[in-house]
Order: sequence, then structure tokens, then C-alpha cells
Amino acid sequence: MEFFRQTNIDFLKYKWWAIGASWALIALGLFTIFVQKGLKFGIDFSGGTAIAVRFAERPDIDRLRKILDGAGLGEIGIQRYEEADKNEVLIRVQQQKKEGRDVAGDVLKTLRQGLASPTDPGKIDLNTEGKGTLAARLTAADPDKVSGRSDVTAGDYYTQAAERVIGKRSSLGLFHAAADVNGVEGISAPVKAWFQANAYTGPFVLLSAENVGPQVGADLQKKALLAVIWSTVGMLAYVAFRFRSLPFGVGAVVALVHDTLITVGLLALFGREFNLVVVAALLTLIGYSMNDTVVVYDRVRENQKTPKKEPLEALINRSINQTLSRTILTSGATMLVVLALYFLGGEVLHTFALTLIIGIVVGTYSSIYVAAAIVVIWKDFKNRRRLAVVPAPVRAEPIAPSGPPPASKKNSKRR
Amino acid sequence: MGKKLRWRVLLIVVVVAAAIGGYVFTGYSHAKKEWTGPGGPSFKDALKSAIKLGLDLRGGIHLVLQVNTADALKAERDDAVETLKNQTKDAAIGAIELPTDTSFAIGITPQTDLTKLEEAAKRFLPDWNYSTGGGKWTFTLKEPARRQTEENAVAQAVETIRNRVDEFGVAEPLIAREGADRILVQLPGIDDPKRVKDLIKNTAFLELTLVEAGPSSEAALKATFPGGVVPPQFKLVEGKAESGTHERTYYVVRKQAVITGRDLKNARPTQGQFGAHSITFFLTASGSQKFGEATGANIGKRLAIVLDNRVQSAPNIKDRITETGVIEGSFSPEEANDLALVLRAGALPAGLVYLEERTVGPSLGLDSIRKGVTASVAGALLVFVAMAVYYRRAGWNAIIALVLNGLLLAAAMSLFEATLTLPGIAGFILTIGMAVDSNVLVFERIREELRNGRAPKAAIENGFSKAFATIVDTHATTIISALFLLQFGTGPVKGFAVTLIIGLLISMFTAVFVSHTIFELEYGRRQHIDSVSI
Repeated sequence: MEFFRQTNIDFLKYKWWAIGASWALIALGLFTIFVQKGLKFGIDFSGGTAIAVRFAERPDIDRLRKILDGAGLGEIGIQRYEEADKNEVLIRVQQQKKEGRDVAGDVLKTLRQGLASPTDPGKIDLNTEGKGTLAARLTAADPDKVSGRSDVTAGDYYTQAAERVIGKRSSLGLFHAAADVNGVEGISAPVKAWFQANAYTGPFVLLSAENVGPQVGADLQKKALLAVIWSTVGMLAYVAFRFRSLPFGVGAVVALVHDTLITVGLLALFGREFNLVVVAALLTLIGYSMNDTVVVYDRVRENQKTPKKEPLEALINRSINQTLSRTILTSGATMLVVLALYFLGGEVLHTFALTLIIGIVVGTYSSIYVAAAIVVIWKDFKNRRRLAVVPAPVRAEPIAPSGPPPASKKNSKRR
Repeated sequence: MGKKLRWRVLLIVVVVAAAIGGYVFTGYSHAKKEWTGPGGPSFKDALKSAIKLGLDLRGGIHLVLQVNTADALKAERDDAVETLKNQTKDAAIGAIELPTDTSFAIGITPQTDLTKLEEAAKRFLPDWNYSTGGGKWTFTLKEPARRQTEENAVAQAVETIRNRVDEFGVAEPLIAREGADRILVQLPGIDDPKRVKDLIKNTAFLELTLVEAGPSSEAALKATFPGGVVPPQFKLVEGKAESGTHERTYYVVRKQAVITGRDLKNARPTQGQFGAHSITFFLTASGSQKFGEATGANIGKRLAIVLDNRVQSAPNIKDRITETGVIEGSFSPEEANDLALVLRAGALPAGLVYLEERTVGPSLGLDSIRKGVTASVAGALLVFVAMAVYYRRAGWNAIIALVLNGLLLAAAMSLFEATLTLPGIAGFILTIGMAVDSNVLVFERIREELRNGRAPKAAIENGFSKAFATIVDTHATTIISALFLLQFGTGPVKGFAVTLIIGLLISMFTAVFVSHTIFELEYGRRQHIDSVSI
């Protein structure tokens, strides 16, 4: 099968339209970030607390909010998480003024008190306690009478039983009733009976809790910015080393900045949260976008070696056409994978995958219309300056507002 | 089959066999370590535990703590004040001020004996600068000493936390210093965040107290008291378990401790007479006084060293002990070392603040693995189908290369003990998506060569050689950005970078070397080829 058999599309004919479209997208993103919504930072960067909880029954969000408002934790956001039928919610708590408060612990305690029907305080909550506590309680009660035996120690024996119970809880999602313990394999009837008598099931189970203080948040922000900047610099260095040409280097880096700006802008527009995993996706994108650009550049360089008289624009067009099939196919294959992550990978990978989806589209486009176009525009500009016989052609008019800044800057120096 | 080709096939077979062997071997060794039940781990268990899972997949706690070094500085200052007060009892010094954590001032009255004060300052406070003026002497902690105090406080906090975590019994804990005053703690498999957090932050309590009875069993000790109840001025404390036995011994000790961890300045392992190993400890000024009085009055009795409510050892008091003492016993060198460490690290030298805290419950980890694996399998299948449809037989060639890529990546991760995280799973599958690029570059080149009228064999050779430079370039760019990613961020993101880098390095081998070899196996033998299925 073949989609692109010896295509001959004049891509660069539309370069000014493309540059206009790019600027429009960038402007839209910047407008969203700086004027309208701002960038929505996740707790990795803004600090604060996020707690994911799974309930036994469909939770009443308003009621949860009422309960938590009494805890004196400031602004609290509650939203449904993952698929609705799993009864999961994500609770966010704003950054506390003073470091050191156990916010997650306080939220869980408040929820437990506010929701739980009154139970015997001597009993243990099967959905809350970890295996350490279960093992300790079992060892103290010793329902299997192992303390006198010489072949096993009670501690080890009951730790194993506790592990099995917690394992069952993990695979069930949570315990709905103490009777669920009867379904645990590998524990004795007296242990099961002990659970019936001494345990109850709380209304929810903790999935994850994250708490990031303001110091760490600020650190991570700085680190993320530096990582993006340095990897862009690294790319510039690599292209400078491999191609030994200024317009190629500038084209590649402008394409990178272009891709990063558009992707971040669109994420802001879609109201997506900016966190560590998204930065990881952005850095991957920088590598990916460069990858695409380098393939086109490699072909341009190869074609330049053949002694064929051909204007640069035609040569670059030819190179783009020659690599078009590869570009589309590779982007397509990567896109298939990323789409699978987007639809099947779960909440954590959702924004990660979306970032890559946007990035792959923008990166593929930018290697043609930004990286390659800049090389053409740059060389055109230089040639025109060198000739300087005729006044600038009519077509040069849009250059002034939308031409790439490095090109004109470099040129003004030479004047 | 040519000689050269035979070697290439052999190399591939060896690499793949080594990868599978390495993976299974690592799997068994990991699974055995974690195995608690009877028998041994099955083959399935070994396959499952070959790759170490990150906290986000197996559940656990990630904590970043800050050591409040000001606490340690204050303690150092209070110590200095105490020492100076004791040494200048008859010098008639005036009121004491505490302006900052690292300085204090002593008021001067007309009666103050300045010679004595100066003598005491020079002799007992070598780490302090002092200046006179304004009717007082101001003492400031010297800069190197301040730094040393802060340094010690953080190092000691790390030791203390490590001791406690070990005591708690966590498999593969990570406790490391981060920067000047931060400590990173990662505890996989812990599902009870509150308990662990309390345990770590709790100030370890060391007390040296007189032994009333013991060591013996709990019941025997209780029986010595009327009614079998320990009287309120005493308490029953468990002794440290002897290695190799599960028998528990208990002591009855006085509730009122002679001295506590706060009175201890330092402790180090020493070698006493006849080469016996012992621990020498040093007390603060006030500690010395209390200890001297108590030990002098109780020679011949036993003194229990109790840490966090557990008797570490209970040596006999041989003499009156003041500022420094020796704990003797039948210690091995390691035991002496450890005991000194526990004494030093016993109490946290300074308060701790939690800066960052991430807990993942066991059920979320299971969910994440399930989803990550489903997405990966789906993604890989989609790519495979696309390749087979688009490139026909050559597509199968690419699929073999990709499968090998996945296999080698899994083996490399298990052998390098790299940690797989949820973003790491994404990196795994992304690698597959990107590794396709190398195959595509080659195949497109071959098609182009064929279109230009080259013979199939030459087209294949040219395709590989012409695409090679580009393949190196594309890998280099992605690896550069992944290296910067490695420098940044926490566990899960690092896991992603590691997976991506290893995967891309491997794809250089599979997409170029393996794929080329398969082509040659398929077409190289025949004398004449009419067409290539591509």
C-alpha cells in the first residue's frame, strides 16, 4: 500500500498563510494565558493538596463540600474523578499559609467523622487501616492461637493474613461490608470470625494523597522552566554541530519555540492542568519535533550535494515531498500509540497524551512550514539584499509584520 | 548463508537469549527476596517481579522533609550558656540575653570577675567568638562551627530516620539527603501513611534509667510484685530481641529517668582494655551533674539504656560517672558501632517539617498498571497492523524488530534495576511508536531506490546506508531532550526518561542491525530477486 507516490506539492507556496496561521494560534494561546484564564497549575507547581478517594456509594458532592468547609482549610475543590460509576472524587485543598500541617490527614479525618454512621470506637475500619495495623491487632487478639507454637511467630503469621486481606481490598476496590472478608483466600475461619466481630467498613478508601508545600512547588517550577530552556539550547547546539548553518539552526529552534508555545497555549485554552507529567510530555515533544525537522533538513542537505541547478525553494519543496510519506507515516504510528494512551491510559496519562497529540500535529506541521520555510525566507532575504538592484518585490510586503525576527535582526546588522 | 551473515544471526540470537535469561534470572532473584510463604516463587511470579515498580504503581509513600536546623543551633547555644554558667559560678556574672539562635550575651556587673570569665570562655567555649561592650559580653558561634552544627543535625536526622524505618520493617526503603537541609524518604508498599509519618517525625526518646528487675519473662517479672501489678513508679519495658531467637525478655525499670537523650552530647565506639569493644558517651554539663549524682549513689546496680521504650542494653554501674562514661558489654565491633549510632541518632537533633508528601494506595497502583498495560497493548497492536498493511512483508520485518525492541527494553530495565513508573509505561509504548520511525525511514528509502530503477538487492543496501545518518540524528535529538528530562522532576517523570532513553538506544540495534539482517536472510540467499515485498 502506498499513500504518497512521488508527490509534488508546492508546500512553500503557502508559507505566508502558514506563518499567519501560526501567529494566530500563538496569539490565541498567549491571550488565554495572560489575559483570559491563565495557566492552570497543578499542585506540583502551585503547591496544595490533592486527595483521591473511592466511595462505596455514589457520593453527594454538595454534602462532602459542606462537611469539609468546617475544617478551616480554606478553598476546597471537589470533582468527580475517572469514570463516574466508580464513585471516585478528587478533593483539592489550596496551599496552606504555614508549612507542616497534615492537610491530607485532616481532610480524611473530617470526612470520616462527617460521613460515618456511629460505630463502636473499639472496632477497626477495614477501608482505612493498613496492613501494619491489621497485623498488630490480629497478633494481639491471636484468634488462631499461634503464640505458643514454635514453628511460626505470631507477628509473621498475622502479617501474612493482613496482607491477604489488604490484597483482597485492592482487587475489590473497597470492602462494602465486613462480610467481604469471608471471601479472602488463605486465612482461617477464626480470623474471619474475628474480623466479623471487630471490624466495620468505612464509607471510603484512600486512593492517593499528594501534598506539595510552597517551597517545593517553587523549586519544581524553576526546574521545569530550566529543563525546557536547556533542552532547547541542547537542540540548537546539536543542529549547529550537525548542519553548521545558521539559518538551519535558527529555523529548527524557532520551530521548537513555536511548537512549545502553541501546545502550552492550547492546553490553557482547553483548561488542562499543567503538572510534572505535562512538562515531561513537553520535553518529549521538543525531541520529537526536532526529530521531524532533522529528517527534512537531512534530505535538504543531501539534495544540495547533487550538482543540479535548482532554486532553494524548489529544492526544499522537493525534499519535503520526498520525506512526506515518512513524515506522515511516523507521525501516524506515534499518533496511534498516543491515542491508545489517551483513551485507555487513565486519568494520570490523559493530559500527558493530549499534550503529545497536539504536539505531534503541530510538530509535524512546523517542520515543514516553520523550520523549512524560515530557511527559504532567510536565503531569499539575503539574496535580495546582495543583489539590491530592484526594489523589494510586491510579495515582500507581508514580511515586515510577520517575518521571523532573527532574520531581520541579522540583516540589519549587516547593513 | 554468507559467513558474515551467519555471525550477525548468531549475535542476535545470543543477545536475545541473554536478554530472556537475564530477565528471568533477575525475576527469580527478586521474587525469592520477597517470598514469605512456603515453597518458592513460581515462574509467573518471577516474570512479574523482574522489573522494579515505582511508588506510583506498587503503592507507597514519598516524603520530602526539611530539617529545622535552627533547633540544633539553639540547643548548641543553650549548651554553651549552661557550660559557661557552671564554670563561672563564683565570678558573679549578670543577666543572660539570647538575642539570636547563634549568639548570647552575658551581663557584666561591677562585681564580675572578668579574668575568670575570660578564662572560662577561652577554655570551654572554643567555638565561640566574644566581644565586649555595652556592659555585656556578647558570644557568637563561629561560622565553621555553625556550619558543622547544621551539617551534623541533618546527617543525624537522616540516621535517625533510617533507624526508625528499619525498625518499622519496610522493604527497600530510600532515605537520602537532598540539598542542604532536606531529606527524601521513599517507602514502597506502605499503606498506612499516618502511622509512618508519625513514626518518622516522632522525637526518638532515649532514657538511661535504673533497672529494678530483669531481664526475665513478662509473667515472671509481674509475679515478683504484690498482686502481679507493676507499681506506678516503675514500668515494664521490653528488651531488644537477641538475634536468632524469638523469645522476648523484659525489664522492670524506674519511670523517673536518670538522664535522657537531651543530656547526651555525643557517643562513639571505642576499644577498652584487652581489646573489648565498648561505647563511650559524653554528657552535657547539666547531664554530667545529674548522672554523677545518680551513678554515685547506685554503684553495683544496673542501668538500662532505653530507646523508644525498648531496652538496648543494661550494663552494671561500676563507678560514679560524670561527663563521660563507657558502656561495656560483650559487644562485637559492629554492635558497638551500632549502639553508638543509636545513641547519637537516638533523638532527632531538630524538628522536621513535611514539605512534600505523596501517598499512593495499593488499589490505585493496581488500577494504573491495568490501564497502562491495556493502553500499551492496544497501541502496539495498532502499530503492528498499520505496518503489516502498509509495508506487507517488510512490515512483518518491522514488527519483529519492534517486538525485539520491547523484549530487550524489558530485559535492560530489569538488569539495570531501573524503576518502572506509570509515565514509564507511557515511555515504553512511546518508544515503540518512535522506533517505528527508523523502520519507516529505511523502507521509504528502499521504495524510492526501487522507483529509481535500482535492483532489489542494491535498493535494500542503499536504503539502509542512506537512512543511517538520519536515524542517528533522530535518535540523538530525542535522547538529548530525554537527558534534560532526567535531570528534572521526581520519580515518575524520571522513570519516563529512563525508559525512553534505554528504549531508543535499543531501537538503534533492532531497527537497523536486526531489520537489515532479516532482509538479508530473506533476499540475500537468492541469486536473483524480481521484487521486494514492501
